[in-house]
Amino acid sequence: MVGEPEAGISRVVAADGLARAAGVEVGMPRREAENLCPTAMVARRDLGEEARRFEPVVEAVEGVIPRVEVAEPGLLFVPAAGAVRYFGGEEPLVERIEKELATLHAGARLGLADGPFAARCAAEQAIEYPLIVTDTVSFLSQLDLAMLQLGGARSPAPFGREELVATFRWLGLTTLGDLARLPREALASRFGEVGLETHRLASGEDRTPQPRIIPPELAVADRYEDPLLSLDQVGFAARKLAARLIAGLRTEGIAPHRVSIEAESGDGTVRVRVWRSNDPFTETGLTDRVWWQLRAWLEANSRRTEGQGGGITGGIVRLRLDPADLSGEGRQLTLLEDVAAQVEAERALWRTHALLGPDAVVVGTRQGGRLPGEQVHWRRFGEEATAPERDPVAPWPGATPSPSPALVPPELVPFEVEWEDGSPVRVRLSSRWEPVINWSGPWRLMGAWWKGEPAADRYQIVTSAGAFLVLVREGRTFLAGVYD
Amino acid sequence: MRSSSQDLLSIQPGWVVGLVGRPGHGLTRLGLSMLAPTARRALVAAVDVRGWLSPLAAWENGIEPEQLVMVRCPDRHQWLGVAAALLEGLPAIYAEVPTGIRDQDLRRLASLARACQARLVLRPLNGDLPDGVTHLRLQATYSTWGGVERGHGRLVNRRMELEASGKGAAGMVRRLIVEDDGSSLRVEEGNDGADSLRMVSRLAPVSGGSAIG
Repeated sequence: MVGEPEAGISRVVAADGLARAAGVEVGMPRREAENLCPTAMVARRDLGEEARRFEPVVEAVEGVIPRVEVAEPGLLFVPAAGAVRYFGGEEPLVERIEKELATLHAGARLGLADGPFAARCAAEQAIEYPLIVTDTVSFLSQLDLAMLQLGGARSPAPFGREELVATFRWLGLTTLGDLARLPREALASRFGEVGLETHRLASGEDRTPQPRIIPPELAVADRYEDPLLSLDQVGFAARKLAARLIAGLRTEGIAPHRVSIEAESGDGTVRVRVWRSNDPFTETGLTDRVWWQLRAWLEANSRRTEGQGGGITGGIVRLRLDPADLSGEGRQLTLLEDVAAQVEAERALWRTHALLGPDAVVVGTRQGGRLPGEQVHWRRFGEEATAPERDPVAPWPGATPSPSPALVPPELVPFEVEWEDGSPVRVRLSSRWEPVINWSGPWRLMGAWWKGEPAADRYQIVTSAGAFLVLVREGRTFLAGVYD
Repeated sequence: MRSSSQDLLSIQPGWVVGLVGRPGHGLTRLGLSMLAPTARRALVAAVDVRGWLSPLAAWENGIEPEQLVMVRCPDRHQWLGVAAALLEGLPAIYAEVPTGIRDQDLRRLASLARACQARLVLRPLNGDLPDGVTHLRLQATYSTWGGVERGHGRLVNRRMELEASGKGAAGMVRRLIVEDDGSSLRVEEGNDGADSLRMVSRLAPVSGGSAIG
């Protein structure tokens, strides 16, 4: 029987057959378990050891589908869409994975569904046989609310997972279907972002976020002249690198939900493993995972070279951590901020969201483009950022330079300009004509000719009533921005 | 107490600032930049009535994209409720004011801002704001651009002249010059001179200028 303290109470996290036969269950308080099974031996949980024992399982699955992501020792996710096509269907894929795992006697539970949350729920239900979900919404709707505590539902202050589920039960809900049938806006207004997230999960909308463009300079790496040979050396290196990564991201106000751990050994072999987390990685959490992973590789290699001496071949000469799936939700609040203020701000925005609808409360991020209207990528408040359509980091020759107009019409608006010998002389503002004081342009804008979009010329026109960004296309003039 | 020019654009908690003038002089950019100090440590919001508000100007003035939430509210019947909901949770808001909002509703909103200690910047889309609403009223009187010359160059920097009045201007009507180079604003007091109708003490009789109280 293995126990782990949680909120001051030791609980059972694993039990063998004899303990289960006596009535011991996972999650049960230790004292209760010992009363049921007085002869049980209790071991303290060692996640590093669990990660080491889990490594062969990860490698076995990785042999079938290369892109494995480990969430915790004992739980891994794989994107299956491509593998399903490769193996000719979901059942052949699951059978293949089962076959690989059979030799390990892992007792694994396999679940296949749309999205990580539904897949996790499927795995929980797959007690005797793998479970392939064909109708995710229908499958989730019949599950108990307790499934929200599995993963996907975060636990920001003031709600913990258990408290949130308890509140839902107090409101009369029992299943995920009950939760999904509630109006989303009402849930968001009452519970904020966690309410929105749990409604999405219950509705089967747990989407894998689109990859963001991650600047390469966010990754951290170290090279070691003297290869790391002992577990102590590796542990120290893991802690140092993890701390550097988290600290560097914190200054940007972001935190990772996935980290790729890459280690190069002295013989040139490179091993890579991705770890993921529903909540943003903390320094401690990431250090643990890097340490578990490196230890698992070290000891896996020592098993292979048993009889020839321990340690990874040639030691570790390089370590690299690449963050992915970044969010601002793990942003460390500074001394100038406080949690209560953050919660109040989000509540106000969710109330506004409930008043106006989800499309009215939006956040912009930069994206590439040549006109100001193209340079903003919008998303709804509370939703995870998706990758912009156009890379903001790439060069955009001919982009309208700053300062940008503060007012940009959502679509180009016809604009009356009088021209004389190719130069603007006056513009029409409402019912009056304003003389042009000065101007710059034309700057040629080659349209997306492959889509049939014509070329255009841009001008910045200054009048005594203000300055305007103007576009001339096929002889017609349009307003593209007001420098207000 | 006479406040410094740069301080004039720094809004105190609970203050309401009115930006009055036709579009084109830079008041929107100025209003968004007033959110920047607060945005360094908290979420701020901008209420967009026309659907034209672009965050690019705010970003160029130092507001991180994730810190600025845009709220699109084209329906004037919902505008007051939305503005009030935002004031109750956010420390700073920029709001375009649609035509047709009653004076007493604006005064109620101003009271709410004071009670919540939130900073509120109001930009009426037509006309002016009624008395009793703003601590500081900034009216754009003139603006010029540098950097362009008969087809050459590009817009580089703007010089904006404002008339500042209200308690926030130490009870006087003052002329301010705001220089905007695209990434920061610099504020200077306008020079005293023959055409300085602006420097009028609130206690002195008025001759050719504006008395405010």
